[in-house]
Amino acid sequence: MSALPASPAESSPAQYLTFLLGGEMFAVGILNIKEIIEYGAVTEIPMVPPFIRGVINLRGAVVPVIDLASRFGGKRSEISRRTCIVIIELTENDERQDIGVVVDAVSEVLEIPASEIEPPPSFGARIRADFIQGMGKVNGKFVILLEVDKVLSVDEIASLSRMVTDGAVDTLAGGVPAA
Amino acid sequence: MDELKQVFLQESNEQLDALETLLLELENRPDDETTLNGIFRAAHTIKGAAGMVECAAVESFAHVVENVLDRLRNHEIAVTTELAALMLGCTDHLRVLVANEAGVAQVTIEWIEAQGARLLAELGQYGPGGQVFATPKAAEAGVERIPSNRSGHNCWHISVRFGPDVLRQGMDPENFLRFLETLGHIQHMETLTDIMPPVAEMDPELCYLGFEISLESSVDKQAIEDIFAFVRDECRLAILPPNSKVADYLELIESLPEDTLRLGEILVRVGALTADELAEGLRTQAIPAAAEQPDVLQIGEILVAQQVVQPELVAAAVAKQTQVSEKKAQDAKLIRVPADKLDHLINLVGELVIAGAATSLLAHTRRDGELIESSSLLSRLVEEIRDASLQLRTVQIGETFNRFHRLVRDACKDLGKDVQLVINGGETELDKSIVEKIGDPLMHLVRNSLDHGIELPAVREAAGKNPRGTLTLNACHDAGNIVIEVIDDGAGLNRDRILAKAIERGLVDAEAHLSDREIFDLIFAPGLSTAEQVTNLSGRGVGMDVVRRNLQALRGTINVDSHSGQGTRLTLRLPLTLAIIDGFLVVSGNRSYVIPLDAVVECIERPESEHNRNYFNLRGQVLPAVCLRESFSLPGERPARESVVVVQYAGQRAGIVVDRLAGELQAVIKPLGAIFRHLQGIGGSTILGSGEVALILDISALIKISGQAEQRLIARPELRNA
Repeated sequence: MSALPASPAESSPAQYLTFLLGGEMFAVGILNIKEIIEYGAVTEIPMVPPFIRGVINLRGAVVPVIDLASRFGGKRSEISRRTCIVIIELTENDERQDIGVVVDAVSEVLEIPASEIEPPPSFGARIRADFIQGMGKVNGKFVILLEVDKVLSVDEIASLSRMVTDGAVDTLAGGVPAA
Repeated sequence: MDELKQVFLQESNEQLDALETLLLELENRPDDETTLNGIFRAAHTIKGAAGMVECAAVESFAHVVENVLDRLRNHEIAVTTELAALMLGCTDHLRVLVANEAGVAQVTIEWIEAQGARLLAELGQYGPGGQVFATPKAAEAGVERIPSNRSGHNCWHISVRFGPDVLRQGMDPENFLRFLETLGHIQHMETLTDIMPPVAEMDPELCYLGFEISLESSVDKQAIEDIFAFVRDECRLAILPPNSKVADYLELIESLPEDTLRLGEILVRVGALTADELAEGLRTQAIPAAAEQPDVLQIGEILVAQQVVQPELVAAAVAKQTQVSEKKAQDAKLIRVPADKLDHLINLVGELVIAGAATSLLAHTRRDGELIESSSLLSRLVEEIRDASLQLRTVQIGETFNRFHRLVRDACKDLGKDVQLVINGGETELDKSIVEKIGDPLMHLVRNSLDHGIELPAVREAAGKNPRGTLTLNACHDAGNIVIEVIDDGAGLNRDRILAKAIERGLVDAEAHLSDREIFDLIFAPGLSTAEQVTNLSGRGVGMDVVRRNLQALRGTINVDSHSGQGTRLTLRLPLTLAIIDGFLVVSGNRSYVIPLDAVVECIERPESEHNRNYFNLRGQVLPAVCLRESFSLPGERPARESVVVVQYAGQRAGIVVDRLAGELQAVIKPLGAIFRHLQGIGGSTILGSGEVALILDISALIKISGQAEQRLIARPELRNA
């Protein structure tokens, strides 16, 4: 069962940060992760898709925060005592961009050898297939390894926001209370 | 690109700007010595700098230009309109050459070469006889030689150092020399064997020879160069035309590897220079270098001691040198700083402003009198630092304005119009990043005024106006903004034609009743640029809609005011800086928003009204309003008392309904990043003293989308219940 597409697994880091999201375990390559902070003080931005929770002040820089559960097509995460924001550094179009993602709880850093990573299922994960880098086997259970470049693609998020902004006029109209 | 070259590129562009300005001045005052000298100096500086970075194309072209300028300066030829135009053409060509050197030229090499050849041919008419550019020898007869700065030598001077590998490549230096004989008569030749090692170490396969040759011939420089074409890459070749100035010889001496004094002697021996000329030249050159090179100074001293040069001559040279160093000292008061260092500083100051605000907030919550006092002192200093560091980035707008002299002049020639350009407030300062970005929009506006605004002289006279049109560029500061006006006294905008075009293009309804202002605003609508108006001058390039968009990207605005037959006034308003603004903090639904303070007119309490419509009675006038709570779908209950911030934007007034007002603040603008690039109504963000991120409202966009929303709501009432 090692008929794995060679490139992503071998070039990806062996260490992963695992976290919980809606009771499920996910993992992100540790090299992309800048830091993990407690959830708080998120400023909402009007007229954007619901999966953009807003922006935070990260030591003087304004960083957008994405609700991962909502990005996967589900409901927004409920904020609890263990909710965290994982700051992920991305490089897209030669531009560095920090993006925060909201997760229910951070678990641990795991080492997953390439041999323990299976290709993503063609369907059934209830997540867009291109969001999944692979399925890691940890203690006999599967962990979804996320392809952060796709999940947090600035271009894609921007064009999704644009659709909302263009439709914002409707949103605005809908917001006006009946006279 | 290495640093030296970058400095060269930047400096030569500055010098070219200066050259252009001076040439335009010369056209108006052809007898002004100072201007003429300034022109010569600029051309010479470019040439010298080009030589330093081995930019041969620029150097040789500048040299020819300089020769003609030199004749002008010596009153051998007179300043004419044609000559000034030619010189301006040469300036442009130099600019292209420099751009080419930087790798940013937008034309092909062939084009550059063709252009260069054409200009050289034209320059040839003005050059002294027998110069690089072939002119009939007869012309030389009338030329009076000035012995003090021109050597009385009629021969080409060729200085060649063969590379070590020449022999290995099967070429014999002797052949080249023999070939030279076919062009003319070699008057004198010196062989240089300085780099020849002792016999024991010598490699017989290498060439160690160099020659200083004096050639009497009527061929041009190219012909001589062609002889050495095969070894061009292998050897150092310098060719000075007959009658070159002493300074050129000295430059040559300096550039060659051998000892200066020895070379000088050789040049005297080959007859290129007289001993006096050499001594004077060396003396002048030696003084600035004296500190580092005492041995060079000695040459001068020796020469004086030997009475080769007269003491008065030395004194004159010293006096001249002092002038030069005084000028140098003035230049030294300016420091060139890389722009990114300044940007970093301004970012840091931004952080400081935020941190300072946090401290004073803390002091106030603690109610500690002493802490409040010290933090307010700190705040004041921080404010001063902010202003001072922002000022580091400011430049005077005059430089940008001055570029238009040339544009106006050329456009007048092309269009057969007579226009004078008047500049006011050139000393007004604004942020360099803004200056860079308004150049093009301004250029477009000026072109438009010249092309469509100001009429032909005959038409003007018929209308009872001064046949000479006036184009005025004004700049001044106004309430935290910079205001730039482009005013012409031309025909004014044709209200009916604009309206007809707009109706034709479906931009406005045929029945709509529009005010003059609304009609004039239509010229900024995309697609209105009327086809019949396209000319060489303003049909190309950007349209008025692009001008407006560029200005909006800088948080600026543009307004038109026009009176038929009297002219048009375009008013541009721009913020002073892009980094930090004075803002007005408001709170709605527990969230903070910043409204740019310069947009705020006044704040009032939301008047009581029975209806639920968004307009108010402001001292008898109707004030449309945007309710932030509604627009941004903010949660929570409406408070019992709300406030209205009255804002003014592009001449329009509107109210913004907010929960409460929280006072003024300095907002360091933090861009929201690529994810939010399509966001409308929000201009950016800033960080408050509490650490909270507040959004900065983009007033004009907010008002616009609110208006659109209402239109849709009226069109589709079912949304009302959505």
